[in-house]
Amino acid sequence: MTERDHTEGVRTDGGEAQTDGGETDGGAGLPANVPPDDQTPTWHDRKARTQGLSRLTYEYFERARYEDQVLRQESDYVERDVLAFPTWPHETIRNLAITSFFLGMMFFVSAALPPHLPDPADPANTPPVILPDWYLYWSFGLLHLDPINPNLAILGGDKLVSDRVYGVLANLVVVGFIAMVPFLNKGSARRPVEEPFWGALGVAGVVFAITIAIVPIQNIVAEFIDIMTINLLFALSFILPVVAFFIAYAVLKTMQEGYMYELNKRYYRLRPPR
Amino acid sequence: MSLEPRDETDHRAWMQERDLSPIEEGYLYGLIYLDKRLRIVDYLELMEDMYYKINLQMPKSHTEQYNLDNKFWYWYPLYSLGFFSIIAYIVAAVTGGILGFYYSPSTAEHPEYTYVAYAHVAQTIMIDLNFGSFLRSLHRWSAQIMTAAVFLHMLRVYFTGAYKEPRELNWLLGIVLISLTMVFGYTGYLLPWSQLSYWAGQIGVEMALSIPLIGEWTAQLVFGGFTLGEPTIQRMYILHVFILPFVVTALIAIHVGIVWMQGIAEPH
Ligand code: HEM
Repeated sequence: MTERDHTEGVRTDGGEAQTDGGETDGGAGLPANVPPDDQTPTWHDRKARTQGLSRLTYEYFERARYEDQVLRQESDYVERDVLAFPTWPHETIRNLAITSFFLGMMFFVSAALPPHLPDPADPANTPPVILPDWYLYWSFGLLHLDPINPNLAILGGDKLVSDRVYGVLANLVVVGFIAMVPFLNKGSARRPVEEPFWGALGVAGVVFAITIAIVPIQNIVAEFIDIMTINLLFALSFILPVVAFFIAYAVLKTMQEGYMYELNKRYYRLRPPR
Repeated sequence: MSLEPRDETDHRAWMQERDLSPIEEGYLYGLIYLDKRLRIVDYLELMEDMYYKINLQMPKSHTEQYNLDNKFWYWYPLYSLGFFSIIAYIVAAVTGGILGFYYSPSTAEHPEYTYVAYAHVAQTIMIDLNFGSFLRSLHRWSAQIMTAAVFLHMLRVYFTGAYKEPRELNWLLGIVLISLTMVFGYTGYLLPWSQLSYWAGQIGVEMALSIPLIGEWTAQLVFGGFTLGEPTIQRMYILHVFILPFVVTALIAIHVGIVWMQGIAEPH
């Protein structure tokens, strides 16, 4: 059927003028399989027609398709959409169940604990404690690093940058470091026990986020706790994260000994970490 | 000499000779009607093509390959934190949209409450409006909970190593999202023009001014000057209700779209 249509179509443009746009064979039915468009050029054709950057692009596409093909032909490949838990329904249904519970909690909390509204703004009257919302405490704390803003002897003890610039820079450094994590820690490990260093670093980071948040209100905290001085508090906000790092590191290392044994047998020997 | 419709493309006749239910028939009529005018079949085909190109056939997952899926992954409930951020975000958006009807971003004088903005929060919303106090409470709490959820979500991604190849770009996008979430909170914090709002704004101006070279320019752009006032609250309002909602919603859509394409990183 398809074959006949095709040859007739080819023949007509040489023979009698046919202006109604193609073969008229009475139409007993459609061909079994209509290709989307047989004019669509292949990657190969497109590559041949182009040059420069677009040619490179097509050359790469060809390679990528080839790579897919090779991978697909490997025997342990299975038919599935993605290399992971499927987002739907696996993840989504579970999430809906949990979140409807949290939604209820949210309404309950809102009804039970209405937020406080402070007095109207008064530019003439600086309040004793200025604080942003809690989630910015860490950032606010980083603005109060003046005691460790280094001063240079050659500048006659002057500080290299003003305290305020130093604080803003500290924010940028912290956020920048967090952004760099995927490029610093590579490999296939996932569980913290597999990488005690990075696990411990994360714990230290969380502890630091809390201790640095106390820095802006250290004078108030120092008033409440007798043995605390402001200097001690400031020092602690850097010492505690380090302590947390070593504790977490020790714990993870210890866990690794026992825990990894099983995993090693099944997985690690087959797929060593890169 | 005209283009006569041929029998094989007479879709009506084709529909007649088939035994279609009313639903099927209605659907086909709609589809054919639209396709005659908009040629949507092309676009459907394009989308289908895209679907298969995106969802490539992938190898066995690690859990399958090493038979680890019988182990209960005890961090698993934490994987819902990202989704929970979205839920809190939606609640904040809806309540915020309603609150917007009763608020006015102005530091003009008010006889009883000093500022018009403050009066709208303290009187119009919290006293005059039915459920207004609850609405404000819900907006505040959902914002706080969203921020907390986003932060914990980031920790979950960190401690499960889910940021590794091929998910680095989503991690970077996440950093942008958490920053914007905080900016969202900050701009909202200034809107009641209370004592706390004012002095938080003061810190903001000082931070902006301390940026080398472009400090004053930044302060002008974001806060509308070096001292706080009408231009400040209006900028914060525009950021909070116009710019950020669109930007953050779009970025969340991209973020989740990438998760959809890549799948959730498995523990192994
Ligand atoms: C507005 C804020 C955010 C929203 C609404 C959001 C939403 C989501 C959702 C729904 C998922 C699916 C998995 C899950 O729920 O855990 C996800 C995954 C992910 N998120 Fe976020 N996220 C946000 C912020 C962040 C942040 C701050 C980061 C990190 C810096 C981040 C990095 C990632 C990564 C790398 C994944 C993939 C994880 C995996 O495959 O297991 N996201 N996000």
